Amino acid sequence: MVLMLLNTLTFHAPKTIPEAARLFADLKDVKILAGGTFLLNSLKLLKTKGTKTAAHVLSLAGIQDLKGITVDPKGLTIRSMTTITDIFESPHLKDNFQVLRTVCRNISTTPIRNMATFGGNLTCRYTWTEMPAVLIALDARMHFIGPDGIPQETGAEDFFKNAARTDKIFTHAYIPRDTGASIAYRRVKKMSDVDVPLLSLCVKTNLKGKQWSNTRVSINSTTVFAQRDILLEEFLDRSQSHPKLGEEALKHLTVSIYDTRSSEYKQHMFRVCIKTAIEEISR
Amino acid sequence: MIVSLTINGQKHDLDLKGHETLLEVLRDRLSMTGTKTACQESECGTCTVMINGRAILSCITLAINRQGDDITTIEGLAKGDTLHPVQQAFLDCGAVQCGFCIPGLIMSTTALLEKNPRPSQEEIEYALDGNICRCAGYPKIFDAVRAAGKVMSKVHENKNQ
Amino acid sequence: MKTKINKEYIDPVGKSVPRIDGRGIVTGQTKYAFDVAFPNMLVGKMLRSPHAHARIISIDTSKAEALPGVKAIITARDTSLIKFGSNEYFFPHTVDQMALESDKVRYIGDEIGAVAAVDEETADEALKLIDVKYEVLPAVFDIEEAIKPGAPQIHESMNNIAVILPVNFGNPERAMKESDYVREDRFWCSAAHHAALEPHVCVGQWETFSNKITLWSSSQAPFKCREALAKTLKMDLNDVRVIKMAVGGGFGGKLEMLPMDFAACLLSKKANGLPVKISYSREEEFIASRRKHGMIYKIKTGVKKDGTIMAITGEVLADGGAYCSYGPTVLAAAIMRIFMVYKIQHFRMSGYRVYTNTPISGAMRGFGGVQSGFAIESHMDMIAKDLGMDAVEFRLKNITTPNMVTVNKMVLTTNGLRECIEKACAAAQWTEKRGKQKKLCRGMGIGIAADVMGSKMYKSHESAGSIVKVEEDGSVYLFTGAADTGQGSNTALSQIAAQELGVSYSRIKCKAGDTEITPFDTGSFASRVTFISGNATVLAARDAKKQILDIVAKDRDLSPDDLDIKAEKVIVKKDNSVLMNFDKALELCSSFNYGKQIIGRGSYNPKTTPIDFRTGEGNVSGSYGFEAQIAEVEVNKDTGQVKILAMWDAHDIGKAINPQSVEAQIEGSLAMGIGYTFYEDLRFKNGRVANGNFANYRLPRSIGTPPMHTILVETNDPEGPFGAKGMGEASLLPTSAAIANAIEDAIGVRIKDLPITPDKIIKALKEKETQKILS
Repeated sequence: MVLMLLNTLTFHAPKTIPEAARLFADLKDVKILAGGTFLLNSLKLLKTKGTKTAAHVLSLAGIQDLKGITVDPKGLTIRSMTTITDIFESPHLKDNFQVLRTVCRNISTTPIRNMATFGGNLTCRYTWTEMPAVLIALDARMHFIGPDGIPQETGAEDFFKNAARTDKIFTHAYIPRDTGASIAYRRVKKMSDVDVPLLSLCVKTNLKGKQWSNTRVSINSTTVFAQRDILLEEFLDRSQSHPKLGEEALKHLTVSIYDTRSSEYKQHMFRVCIKTAIEEISR
Repeated sequence: MIVSLTINGQKHDLDLKGHETLLEVLRDRLSMTGTKTACQESECGTCTVMINGRAILSCITLAINRQGDDITTIEGLAKGDTLHPVQQAFLDCGAVQCGFCIPGLIMSTTALLEKNPRPSQEEIEYALDGNICRCAGYPKIFDAVRAAGKVMSKVHENKNQ
Repeated sequence: MKTKINKEYIDPVGKSVPRIDGRGIVTGQTKYAFDVAFPNMLVGKMLRSPHAHARIISIDTSKAEALPGVKAIITARDTSLIKFGSNEYFFPHTVDQMALESDKVRYIGDEIGAVAAVDEETADEALKLIDVKYEVLPAVFDIEEAIKPGAPQIHESMNNIAVILPVNFGNPERAMKESDYVREDRFWCSAAHHAALEPHVCVGQWETFSNKITLWSSSQAPFKCREALAKTLKMDLNDVRVIKMAVGGGFGGKLEMLPMDFAACLLSKKANGLPVKISYSREEEFIASRRKHGMIYKIKTGVKKDGTIMAITGEVLADGGAYCSYGPTVLAAAIMRIFMVYKIQHFRMSGYRVYTNTPISGAMRGFGGVQSGFAIESHMDMIAKDLGMDAVEFRLKNITTPNMVTVNKMVLTTNGLRECIEKACAAAQWTEKRGKQKKLCRGMGIGIAADVMGSKMYKSHESAGSIVKVEEDGSVYLFTGAADTGQGSNTALSQIAAQELGVSYSRIKCKAGDTEITPFDTGSFASRVTFISGNATVLAARDAKKQILDIVAKDRDLSPDDLDIKAEKVIVKKDNSVLMNFDKALELCSSFNYGKQIIGRGSYNPKTTPIDFRTGEGNVSGSYGFEAQIAEVEVNKDTGQVKILAMWDAHDIGKAINPQSVEAQIEGSLAMGIGYTFYEDLRFKNGRVANGNFANYRLPRSIGTPPMHTILVETNDPEGPFGAKGMGEASLLPTSAAIANAIEDAIGVRIKDLPITPDKIIKALKEKETQKILS
């Protein structure tokens, strides 16, 4: 055959979550296949470099329990195999969930959005994918399951620091509803470079009149994992909305964007994004 | 193992090992060379097909994962000698130059217009942002999308009457 | 003819008739070389050097040959060691590439061998098993480093300079002294890539008993490919057949034979005649085809205070990569295009085409004119500003005119440059908007350019041939050597044939670019096809018409000079009375009494002179095209992002054979120009391509396409077919400068290094702030 994009592999398609979790634990040298937009490209790339690739691929596409978005008065559940397009088109994105529409709109291109999944975006472990910053800002609870079948959950911040590296399968996120939240999301990509965000960040607060409270500032483009800027949050929680708030806030930035690939432009854009995100909420 | 794929309404039983992408199955196994590839890294869109009405990249789709799905390729749009409105519009509006991007663009356009036959300029740009065209620079492609949409919304209206 | 004749397509020149090959494309049926497949076809892959510069000590293929499924392996010792190149006629010493290198490799990716196997996996495995021993040599990657004495020598040339082009006219030193104002600038024009969607791909078959080669190819110049194959494989031209399939984009990257074409044929021979397909991956496209020359462009201009250009001097350093390819011609075009645009009497520029140990630079749409367009049009804009003159007024003061001869002997006949500038300005509302939207961070910029319609770089001629064959039932074949790569030449030439023959476009079928069947044509480059191949087609159709009229005249006892064919009818010219319709006329020709085959032939070689590379003189084209482009931008000072609000392009095309196709080409050029301005930057790190994939080499997409307004200016060229000149490149030339000029108008910063990225704008704005504070 003229075209052979991938090395040979053994394909598994479990129908239930417990079956998937068991297989994941039992199989040696296995990768989870969600939408395929990350995994299949990386398998192709490894093949062209002559590197050995995973012997097993475990597809979650056949598990109906991992698909879909449901809503209840207290919050929104997004299951891991929901595609980005499905999230974008969901009628349930009201209140503080609206920011997800902005986030999804800016992920890659249309066919990729039709294939890429919520869970894939969270767990493919690029330190700059889109979902982490927003889920931390929204105080999401992340649910996953191991081979023992016992469901576990943890907060978003902890998940991105630790749990994304587990041997467990991420099943869904639960985002608490917050009707009084004001949220701003920023994503930067440098056009002539790789089309993943250079940087994405999310600022959320509950405005009581002009007073900021319960502020979250989460940033994803550090060397290791998405994280919050606690000192900046504390400053904002002491502040009132006004036109110069964004500029003042820059003096309290503690999370540094510095990494070995950081450029002056990225530093500059980081500051511009924090400033304009805060200004957007202040208006 | 034997895998059953429904392509353009026809059922194909194929003996697959598991690693074959839908692109390879279409081009090498079934000699359906209308679907192309230009980058092998899901960037160019020339491998776009429709699956269950959505634009999907066949170069990062495992064929074995698509049993039971409704797959449409460029070869499945025309009805006998009559071109699909999207195909006709691309011709009429001068959107075709070298043509290598066209099958993928037509599939993305069809997926858009079947859901939304009167898209705004912004919606058109978003729907086609996964398809690179190096020749045309896009304006005539936008014209073709709008022209096809007009025809398809009339068909919708006629159906509903 | 049995098919319905579409009456709307009578007199098709000037009408936007549908593409002749369109239905196949929109249904996915059209076959590209990419789609060609045969039973028992083998997969071929090239063996490439991992070193930027090294001597080849030994190649051991024994382990690879033993691998089951491997059918043939070739290295230099299987070849006749004949070099090939693209400037044989003018610069024989630049014929410097061998299909498979035998003693040295000069860039990472340089070809030294090839394998053919039953499938892709086996071919990949075989490549790994070939044991090559290299002696690594010091390498050089930077142009300015490469020309220093003591730099590693890549070829047998002084200081890694393949070609020096000194172009001198008048007395520039004295003219500079007489100038009221002198300005000097240096620009960096980045390397870029054609990024045609269809990669380089070919299928080669060697019929071992008849000793005949067939190559199915994605080529812009099948005859040039044939010639190079015949030369390197020591075959007669009529034993080598190159069949151009539909081509998925060329843009200058598919003008030459590549080692892969050679290898596919030779592998087939060694594999006892099995066809061998070699298809480049996207990474190979970036590494091992051709790329745009990165250029350092230094220019110094002296003007009078009323804006008249007095003298221009300067220097161009072009990064040629490891081999010469079209280098000298690109360099010549980069220097000499200016004479088509501005009136200049005193001029001195030296061009250096420099070797570096990086992928090969060759022809890319614009041929050096894109780089020079950016440099010259930015530079002129800055001079106008320094003089306090309006940018358009400055241009109008200095542009060339119709019916003049330039200082380097280019004969400009029709010249719509003034009209293009005026029409573009009117459409864009230049006077209302230029300089007046700074508060909104909006600005407007203009760039102008001129285009050749072919240029003598191929041997001593660049002729085209056409055959118009009319069948017994009145259906018509057009055989042309011209290579349609998507720009629509099959369609335009068919329209021309139908117009001249006097029939509807419905009758024409076009067969193009098969070296065994169609007449010779040098190929699709230098915007030559409509003009040169078009004229050949007119002559062929005219000949066919004459043959038909001779028979009708004989039959009716009239003089053929009294007759004509118009709107599908044979008529008497004097009173337009109808003698018979076209089908009837063909019945007559093929009747028992006459039995005449109607085969019309045409050959056209433009009346031009090649560039004399010692002096820079030469009327390289039978006609020249012109254009003016205006860009309106809005800059976000926080993020450095530039949004193009709109572009206007007024183009003198002589006559639009197919207006829709002309607009489509202009729009495509604008998009390519936008890409080159903002995103496309082919980067190297120690000779290795750093961004050789579409994730990192960004191309323009639907989002970000600005509204494009095209204005066609028809000056009705006396030499062109039905007044047409041709086009395809001009709209790409001034785009970067028009945008850079617009950015300067908007926010007062000038970027002189391409691409214009947000970080450069932020940096420039910060520097401007600092300067303000300091002063």
